[in-house]
Amino acid sequence: MVVQVLLFKQVALAGPYFTILLYPLLLLLLPLQAATPYLVLLGFATGMTVDFFYGSLGVHASAGAFSGLIRPGVLGAFAPKGGYSGKEPIFAPAYVGWQTFLSAAALFFGLHIFWYFSVDAFTFVYYGMITLKSALCFGLSMIFVVLYTALFNPKN
Amino acid sequence: MGNLLQLFIRFGGFVTFVLVEAFCFFLIVQYNEKQDAIFTHSWGIFSGRILERQQKALDYIGLSDRVDSLTKENAVLQAELANTRVFQMPYRDTQFLVLRDTLRKVDGSDSVIDKTTRPHYEFIAAKVVGNSITSTNNWLMINRGTEDQVKPGMAVVSGLGIVGITRHVDRRFSMVLSVLHRQSRISAALKLKNGELPAGSIVWEGGDPAMVTLRFIPKHFIEFIEIGTPVVTSGLSGMFPKEISIGTVFDKPEADIENPYFLNIKVRLRQDMSSVQDVYVVKNAFATEMDTLQTKTARQ
Repeated sequence: MVVQVLLFKQVALAGPYFTILLYPLLLLLLPLQAATPYLVLLGFATGMTVDFFYGSLGVHASAGAFSGLIRPGVLGAFAPKGGYSGKEPIFAPAYVGWQTFLSAAALFFGLHIFWYFSVDAFTFVYYGMITLKSALCFGLSMIFVVLYTALFNPKN
Repeated sequence: MGNLLQLFIRFGGFVTFVLVEAFCFFLIVQYNEKQDAIFTHSWGIFSGRILERQQKALDYIGLSDRVDSLTKENAVLQAELANTRVFQMPYRDTQFLVLRDTLRKVDGSDSVIDKTTRPHYEFIAAKVVGNSITSTNNWLMINRGTEDQVKPGMAVVSGLGIVGITRHVDRRFSMVLSVLHRQSRISAALKLKNGELPAGSIVWEGGDPAMVTLRFIPKHFIEFIEIGTPVVTSGLSGMFPKEISIGTVFDKPEADIENPYFLNIKVRLRQDMSSVQDVYVVKNAFATEMDTLQTKTARQ
């Protein structure tokens, strides 16, 4: 996982406008039972790591913390009937199925990306620009999410 | 304690999030040029507005102080004005112009000018705290008393005109005999176009609180009196300074029924007595002196 963090940084560095964000996936694939404060802090830490390489101290960290906060909510919305059985250690296609995984990931990434670009712009004046950037980034990122998940098929 | 812990478990995520976001915010502004510029700009606007509001609030809070200081300043100006009217010297008769500080107190000098140019009036700013206009004998109450050197028999004026005369003075408050009182007699004069100031007396005959009557103007002035001729204080009573506005002639003068050698003139008050708020008590520096002299003469 940590290796992956390093890898997608290289990917994202390639295009200044076509941003690809893959690290939220790391947060998504954390153990299901993880507590919210722990998720928030971990999201923050991950974001900070990214920020160090991007030279945008605080921006990714903010988005990471936000993702940590919303993760339980997003996953809860896509929980199977009767909740998670405990058999699934992580939220991965291997356990919950591709459809559920992708829907949840889409929502999760969408919120994360929108938050990221809002903080990046740091003002709501450029409303349209934020939305456009978010949409572009969302599309690209989701492709990589699918590729990554299909390639590595994470189990824990 | 247990409740607190439960609260943290429930909202711990959110609390952590808020703390972390606050930290992020700090980092973003601290280490990112673009966001820092936006933040500085927005903060400038925001704090500017806050400061403006704060200033407005402070202004509002300090409003009474400012009004007080303004009325005080007014009192000083009124006194100066009243004093200059007393000090007017017949310079026309002299060949040269005399420049002197008329407000300087110059006791102990024998010069005619020095004697007449001593400050004569002092104005004490006051607020009307009680007022009546509906009865036949009306009174006002003001928030100045012996503590503020108010004494019975002092003139009370407003920025627009005369108001009354102090009668009963307590430590902090005084009762003012309103112009609209049957007993009120205020020495007044018509300000004619030819510069003459024929003096008479302002009395109130009840009824309309906007109207008073100017009596004891000799009838040969009838041809000079027009509707709208200003009526001012005569400065002869020792209470009111000279030429404080009273009102204007409202109607054609009629002969006094009791005394046909004099005129009865309806005068419309300039100061609406129902809305009088800020007033000044006029302190005549020589009141005692003048009174003593007068009573001495009256005894003879």
